[in-house]
Amino acid sequence: MSDTAMFAMKQVSKSYGSAYTLHPLNLHISRGELVALIGPSGAGKTTCLNILAGTIEPDAGLLHIAGKPASSYASGKHLAKAVGIIRQQFDLVGSLPVLHNVLAGRLHEWGFGKSLLSFLFPQDKHIAADALNRVGLSDKLYDKTSHLSGGEQQRVALARLLVQQPQAILADEPVASLDPARAEDVLAMLVRLVQEEQLTLVSSLHSVHLARQFFQRIIAIKEGRVFFDLPTADVTEDHITDLYQLTAGHGMDER
Amino acid sequence: MQHIPSATSVRKPHRRFGIVRVSVYMAFLLIIASWIYLFIGEQANLAELFSAKNVRYAVQFLSGLAGVGVDHPAFLDIESWKRALALTYQTLQMSLMAIGFATLGMLLTVIPASRVVAGGTESALLRAWNRIVYGLVRAMYVISRSVPELIWAMMIIFFFKPGLLPGAIALALHNFGILGKLCAEVVEDLDMRPIRNLASSGASKAQILIYGIIPAVLPRFLTYILYRWEVIIRTTIVVGFVGAGGLGHEFKLSMSWFHYTDVTLYLLCYLMLVFAVDLISAGLRRWMQ
Repeated sequence: MSDTAMFAMKQVSKSYGSAYTLHPLNLHISRGELVALIGPSGAGKTTCLNILAGTIEPDAGLLHIAGKPASSYASGKHLAKAVGIIRQQFDLVGSLPVLHNVLAGRLHEWGFGKSLLSFLFPQDKHIAADALNRVGLSDKLYDKTSHLSGGEQQRVALARLLVQQPQAILADEPVASLDPARAEDVLAMLVRLVQEEQLTLVSSLHSVHLARQFFQRIIAIKEGRVFFDLPTADVTEDHITDLYQLTAGHGMDER
Repeated sequence: MQHIPSATSVRKPHRRFGIVRVSVYMAFLLIIASWIYLFIGEQANLAELFSAKNVRYAVQFLSGLAGVGVDHPAFLDIESWKRALALTYQTLQMSLMAIGFATLGMLLTVIPASRVVAGGTESALLRAWNRIVYGLVRAMYVISRSVPELIWAMMIIFFFKPGLLPGAIALALHNFGILGKLCAEVVEDLDMRPIRNLASSGASKAQILIYGIIPAVLPRFLTYILYRWEVIIRTTIVVGFVGAGGLGHEFKLSMSWFHYTDVTLYLLCYLMLVFAVDLISAGLRRWMQ
C-alpha cells in the first residue's frame, strides 16, 4: 500500500437483502484529490460514501483508510482524526449555539470531563472563532444554530470540520438542500478550505454542473457499479447522457 | 423553494356531499331537535332558573362573600391575611414538591419507556428484557395517569396523616403518568441525524448525551413540566378538599363553617397564586426561546 493513498477499496461489495447495492468495487483515491461521485438516485453513492466513512461495514472486500485497514481503527475517536463527514444541513444540533456545534469537532480530542466543562464554559474558544472567521460567520458565534439559514448552517458544519482537522472529508450531497447560488457558494468554500488544508475530498453530488466546475476527477456510479472514472476534462456530454438514461425498472427508486 | 404555488390555490373539483359537510348538517339538525324536545317534550322553562328563590340565595351568598353586614370581614384583617399567605406559601410548596416528584419519576423511567431505535448490537436476551421493561413502565404510566388526583389523594390520606406531603404525592402520581408519556414521545421523535453526525465526528456515547440528546429534548421537557406545574397549582385546591392541606383544605373548612369572608380571602390568594405561577412559567418559556 503506497503512502499516497487516502482511500483504497479492493473488491468491496455491499448488499441489502438479495440485490447488490454495490457490486464488487475497486477504487483508489490519492491524498489531495478532489473527487465527485455522481450518478442517478439509488445508484449506491451514499452507500459507497458510508463505507469509506467506516459507518457501514462492507460484506466483503478490503478497505484501507489513510494506509491502514479500516478495521484497525479502534474507535470513532481514531477514525474521526482520519475522516470527517458533512451531510445535508440537518446535521447540527439546532437548539445549541453555533459555538458548541463548531466545538463538537473537538469532541474526539476531549475526554468526558473536558466536554462537560466546555458545555458550561466553552473551551478552546479561539479555535472555534478562527474556524468561523474562515467561513465568514465570525459574528454568529453565540447565535442559536436553528436561527441560521440553510447556507449558513452548512458553513457552520464546515467550521466544525476545520476544528476536527481530519485528513479527508467525505461530503454526502452537501448542497442538495440549498438554492443554486448558495449551493455554489458553499461548495466553492468547501473546495477552497480543502485545498488550503491540503486535504482529500470525496463528495457525492446531484449536479453534474457543480461536479465539473469544482472537481478534478469524476466517478460515476450506476446500479452499484462504476460507470466511468475519468478526469473531469475527459467527461463528455455522451457520458452524462448515458449515465442518467433510465433503464427499465431501475433508477427511479431511492436505494 | 419559496415560490412554489401553494396547493390550496389550485381549485379542487367541487364535491356536493362530502362526509364532513353531511356531518355538519346532521350536527345542526341534532342541536335544533334537542332544543325543541327540551322545550316541548320536557316542558323546560328558562324563567325557572331565575326564580325569586334562586335569586335570593345567590344574593345572600354573594353578599356573604363580599362581607356585607359582617363586623370584621377576614379580607380586611391583617392576621387573617398573614394566615392565608402562609397557606398560599404552603400550597406553592406542595405544587413544587408534586412537580418535583413527578419530574424525578419521569426522568428515571423515560429512557426505557421510549422505543428508541437500537443500534442492533445488543443480544436477543437484552432486547427481550428491554421490551419487558418498556411494557412495565408504560403500564405504570397508564395506571398512574388514569386515576384522578382526587382519588389518589383520598387513598393516600389513609397512609399518611393529613398534610402537604400526601397532597403532593397524590398530585405527583397522577402527573408522573402524564409527564412520562409526553416526554417518552419527545425522546421517540428525536431527530437522529445530528446524533449520527456527532458520532461520526468522534463523540463518545456520554458526549453525545451532553451535546446531542440533552439539548434537543430539554426545552421540550421543560415546556411540558411547566405546563403540568400550572395545572397542578390549579388542582392543589381540589386535593386540599380531602385533607391534603394548603389553601384547599382551609377553603373547604371555611365553606362548611359559613365563614364566607374567609372564602373570599382564600379565593383572592388562590387567584394571586395562579396568576404568579402563570407569569413565572411564561417567563421561563420565553427565556428558553
